[in-house]
Amino acid sequence: MIDLLTHDFGRKALIAAMAVGLAAPVVGAFLVQRRMSLIGDGIGHLALAGVALGALIGVAGVWGALVVAILGAIALEALRARGRLTGDLSLALVFYLGIAAGVVGLAAAGRYNASVLSVLFGSLFAITWADVAVIVALGAAVAGAVTLLYRPLLAVALDEETARAAGLPVDLLNVALVVLTALLTVGGMRVVGLLLVAALMVVPVAAGGRVSHSFRGTLWWAVAVGGLSSVVGLSVAATQGELVPGGTIVLASVGLFLVFAALGARAHRLHRPGRAS
Amino acid sequence: MPGTGAVELTGVRFGFGPVPIFEGADLSVRPGTLAVVTGPNGSGKSTLLKLLLGLLEPAAGTIRVLGEPAGRATALRRIGYAPQGAGGASVLPISVSEVVAAGVTPRKRFLQPFGRLDWRLVNEALDAVGLGDLSRECVFELSGGQQQRAVLARALVGDPELLLLDEPTTGIDRAFRPRLLAELRRRADAGATVIVVSHDPEDFHEIVDRVLALEDGKIGDISHQEFHEVTGR
Repeated sequence: MIDLLTHDFGRKALIAAMAVGLAAPVVGAFLVQRRMSLIGDGIGHLALAGVALGALIGVAGVWGALVVAILGAIALEALRARGRLTGDLSLALVFYLGIAAGVVGLAAAGRYNASVLSVLFGSLFAITWADVAVIVALGAAVAGAVTLLYRPLLAVALDEETARAAGLPVDLLNVALVVLTALLTVGGMRVVGLLLVAALMVVPVAAGGRVSHSFRGTLWWAVAVGGLSSVVGLSVAATQGELVPGGTIVLASVGLFLVFAALGARAHRLHRPGRAS
Repeated sequence: MPGTGAVELTGVRFGFGPVPIFEGADLSVRPGTLAVVTGPNGSGKSTLLKLLLGLLEPAAGTIRVLGEPAGRATALRRIGYAPQGAGGASVLPISVSEVVAAGVTPRKRFLQPFGRLDWRLVNEALDAVGLGDLSRECVFELSGGQQQRAVLARALVGDPELLLLDEPTTGIDRAFRPRLLAELRRRADAGATVIVVSHDPEDFHEIVDRVLALEDGKIGDISHQEFHEVTGR
C-alpha cells in the first residue's frame, strides 16, 4: 500500500477509487431499500451507448456517457413510476439496448478496440489528474446531495405512498435519486467500469445491512466497506500487476460482505429485542 | 362556498373500472370529531381515506380537507396517516425512531436539518404508543403489534390536525388497546379530527362521536343504537 503511494499513478488511482468507493454506497442504500438494485446496472449499460455517441459526434466519452446516463435514468424512472418497469424483462431490454447500441456505435466510430475494455471494467492505473478531479467532483456532488436530501429520500424509501400522502414531492425525489445514480455511474466508469460500478452501490450496502439495526447504521457501515474495498482491491491489483483493479475492488467488497454476513448471523442469534404484540 | 368541516365531500363519484365505489357521496366532518368508518369488505373504507389524501382522484364531485382541495401539500402536511398493515417488508434494517421521524420530515422546510425539537416530537410519539424503550431497535425484528404501533406513532407525531387511521388496532393486543383508544379520544378532545377505518368497529363504541357506514356508494351516519345492534355491544 505504502509502495503504491510512492508512485504518481498509485496516488491518482487511490484517490479516484476512494471517491467512488465511499460515495457509491451512499446512493446505493436508497436504491437497495427501494428494490431498485439493478437500476444502476441499467444506467451503466445505457452509459456505454453514451460513450459511443460521444465517439460518433467527436466529444469525450465521459460527456456522452453523462448525458445519455442522465436522460436514460430519467426515462427509466418514468417507466418505473408508471409500473412498466416492475419485472426483470423490462430491465433486461434496457441492458440489451444499451450494450448493443454501445458496441455498434463504437464500431461505427472506429473505436471498437481494446479501449472498450477500459470503459466496461475500468482503467484505474491509466487515469489522469483531470480524470481524478472529475471523479472526485462527481462523488462529492452525489454525497453532498444525499446528505442534504437524506430525510426526504429516507421517507420515500420507507414507504412511497405514505410519503406522497404526507405531501413530500415524491416524483421529484425519485428523479433526483436516479440522476445521482447516473452521476455516480459515470464517475465510476474509469475506476471499476460501467459493468461493475453498480456492484459498489449494492454489495457494501448488503454488507452493512447485516450488522446494523437502522438505515443510518447500515449507511455508515456500507461507506466503510466501500472505502475499505477500494483500498484492499487496489492494493491487490497493484501487488499482483496482472490483475484488473475494477475486478479486485468488487471482489474485495464481496469478501467483506461474506465476513459481515457471518458476523451478522452471530449477532442476530445473541440479540433479541423485547417482543410483545 | 366551501363548508367549515375538517373534511367535506360533495357529490363524489369514484370507482375502479366500471364498478362504482362511491356514487354521489356526501360527507361533512366537523373539527374535533372522532369518527369510525365501517362497512363490509370492498365497500370503499380504505378508498375513502385515499380520496381524502388525494392519492386517488374522484371522477366527479369535490373533496376538501382542512379547508383546501384534497391532495394539496400544505394540507397534507397537517395530516397524520397510518395505512393498513404494519409497513410491509423491508430490504434493509430500519430503526423504530427512523420510522417515526419519517412522519416529521414532511413538516420541515426544504433542506431544513433535524433538530432537538424534532427528536423530542419523535420521542413523545413513541411514548404515546409505548415504544419509547425500543426506539433504537430494528422495527422488523419486533412483533406485528409493535410494528403497527410504530406506524401509528409516525401518524401521531407532531400533533396533526387530522388523523386518518386505516385499521389501527390490527395486531395490537387487548392490553394496549384501551391506551390507544384513550390517546385518540384525547387528541379529538384537543381539537384534532380523527377518522378511523375499521372492519371491527366495536373496539371504538365507547369513544366515537360518529359512526359512518358505507353502503350502496353513499356515506351515512348510523346511530349509536344501530351501532350497538350491529356490533352486539
